[in-house]
Amino acid sequence: MSLSNSLTASGQDLTSSGNRVGWEEASTVLKPSTPTRKSPKPENAITIGVSARVLFNMEKEQHIYEQQGMEEYIKYQVEHETQPFSPGPAFSFVKALEAVNTRLRELYPDSEELFDVVLMTNNHAYVGLRLINTINHHELFIERFCMTGGNSPIGYLKAYHTNLYLSADPVKVREALEEGIAAATMFTPEKMTEVSETQLRVAFDGDAVLFSDESERIYKAHGLDKFFEHEKAHENKLLDHGPLKGFLEALGKLQKKFYAKGQRMDCPIRTYLVTARSAASSGTRALKTLRSWGLEIDEALFLAGAPKGPMLEKIRPHIFFDDQLFHVEGAAEMGTVACHVPYGIAQRVIKRETHDKETSSAPK
Amino acid sequence: MSVDSARETLYHRGEADMVATIQNTDVKQEDAHGAVVVAVTSRALFGGDDDDDVSGVGVAFPLLQALQRVNQRLLEKDPAESLLFDVVLITTDSQQQQQSSRIVSSTRHHGLEVSRFCFSSQEDFIESLLTNNVQLFLSTDRNEALQASQQGVLSALLDRQGAPSEQLRVMLCGDAVVRPDAGPAPVSRPAAESFSSRLGEMRRRFGALDSPLSIVLVTSSGDRESCGVALRTLRSRGLGVDEAYCLAGAPRSPILSLLRPHFLLGDGVIGLED
Repeated sequence: MSLSNSLTASGQDLTSSGNRVGWEEASTVLKPSTPTRKSPKPENAITIGVSARVLFNMEKEQHIYEQQGMEEYIKYQVEHETQPFSPGPAFSFVKALEAVNTRLRELYPDSEELFDVVLMTNNHAYVGLRLINTINHHELFIERFCMTGGNSPIGYLKAYHTNLYLSADPVKVREALEEGIAAATMFTPEKMTEVSETQLRVAFDGDAVLFSDESERIYKAHGLDKFFEHEKAHENKLLDHGPLKGFLEALGKLQKKFYAKGQRMDCPIRTYLVTARSAASSGTRALKTLRSWGLEIDEALFLAGAPKGPMLEKIRPHIFFDDQLFHVEGAAEMGTVACHVPYGIAQRVIKRETHDKETSSAPK
Repeated sequence: MSVDSARETLYHRGEADMVATIQNTDVKQEDAHGAVVVAVTSRALFGGDDDDDVSGVGVAFPLLQALQRVNQRLLEKDPAESLLFDVVLITTDSQQQQQSSRIVSSTRHHGLEVSRFCFSSQEDFIESLLTNNVQLFLSTDRNEALQASQQGVLSALLDRQGAPSEQLRVMLCGDAVVRPDAGPAPVSRPAAESFSSRLGEMRRRFGALDSPLSIVLVTSSGDRESCGVALRTLRSRGLGVDEAYCLAGAPRSPILSLLRPHFLLGDGVIGLED
């Protein structure tokens, strides 16, 4: 918060209510010695909400919560307040977002069209200082957070125009999707492959992620061959949009800002479509749909049903979105940070399984 | 209990202004040292549609219910608990003063536990606050709240809220908590610190989950570092925070309906919608 901004704010307030001089003056004197960049207005920025458990590794603490309950969990957190958490699966993604912001600021110093990462956790604020200390330790640029103390974060996501929400809790993710917010459940790979620090890479599955699940229904009902046939026959009919179309759109908007300054080859954002569709038949419909939406995707990989893990291992995205747990788990096994988008027909079978697996989880 | 049969304590002043305090014998009077005295104006409590015999409830009603719930839960844990909220109803409106028995009976009708009723003039009400050892004064009238604050009484403005919560939710403004060493401290600062400490003690009677009161910190313009400082400062005053929101310049109004505070504590007097 720059000094001039707070002076303006208190100038306005002085005219409306003389009594406010006290704390307004104080907040101007309070300006920290190191200048901090001002956060963009939520409506201008691309807001990414991340939960504490995906940003940082809180496995040990999660375990304490599950085994010993809330009070012990909080006690442990407070006792270890000065010990920063180590990075979680979303960490490298967040760092890459910041790298893009740095490049954007160089080219467009006055623009607020930047990524804004918000820590959105339903952790209790007693854990707050440890989280703040950790953000400081890792030098992350996260100035906004909501620690809801057990209440649902969904309302806050909506209030601040969140473009993407990442959490370890599938229940919250589903709630967010139902409210029209792009969201995905992030899984932690056992071993994370190294990713670029300078170029943000985002990989998307097609059906039920970028596109609606209409074609996926055909696949589920009649198998892969019928799916290919159907798609070829309807190749000129646009697919409906899926939950992550908006996020791809936001990425595309930023990419165009780099292209406008002649940086197409060196663009710090790269997008990938990794789909079971085949180039020969069903791929065309996907590409035509994207084109009609005015969206570009840098690389489209049509696997014709082959497993996605090895391809993703080559691409090394910071994040990969898929609606099928099978693909998400396969990708995670090979070191990719993969997120499950619990949307569409693929969830109906999964719901029964996850209901058994789902244990009550700690605040994230 | 009727006004006529109640015990009255009258303070006479030179100009024959009177400040009258009536104790409500239906309600157990709190231990003077243990209780946290909260004063509410009757204008804030009774502002709704009136029946013939009974006044309708206003903005302060859900708050008083929430205070009562906290007391109930405290007494459940320890029947001998003395750290309880003690509610005093202040009437400065001369019209309402003429209906003092109506005020008392309306209070009872709505099931509210008010331990003392104070009737004073607009000029004298601060004296009522001081003599009744009021630790928090709540009003819907900004000028009243400002006056009290300038005389050192911690005051807060009550605004109309959306669906009020059952849980007592106290919001603190983080930007106001963080202080530089230089500069004049607001007159109500000592009162704010002492109230925070007692509120914190009360909060600690309960666990992290299922508490009848919640302390909510909102830092509107400050960054995460100032929020961290606010958390540490409040902790040093004995007040633990349950929920923390650092907005770094984002507007507060979109989340006020989610936060649902009963009132906002700052330095000086700040309304929820400010």
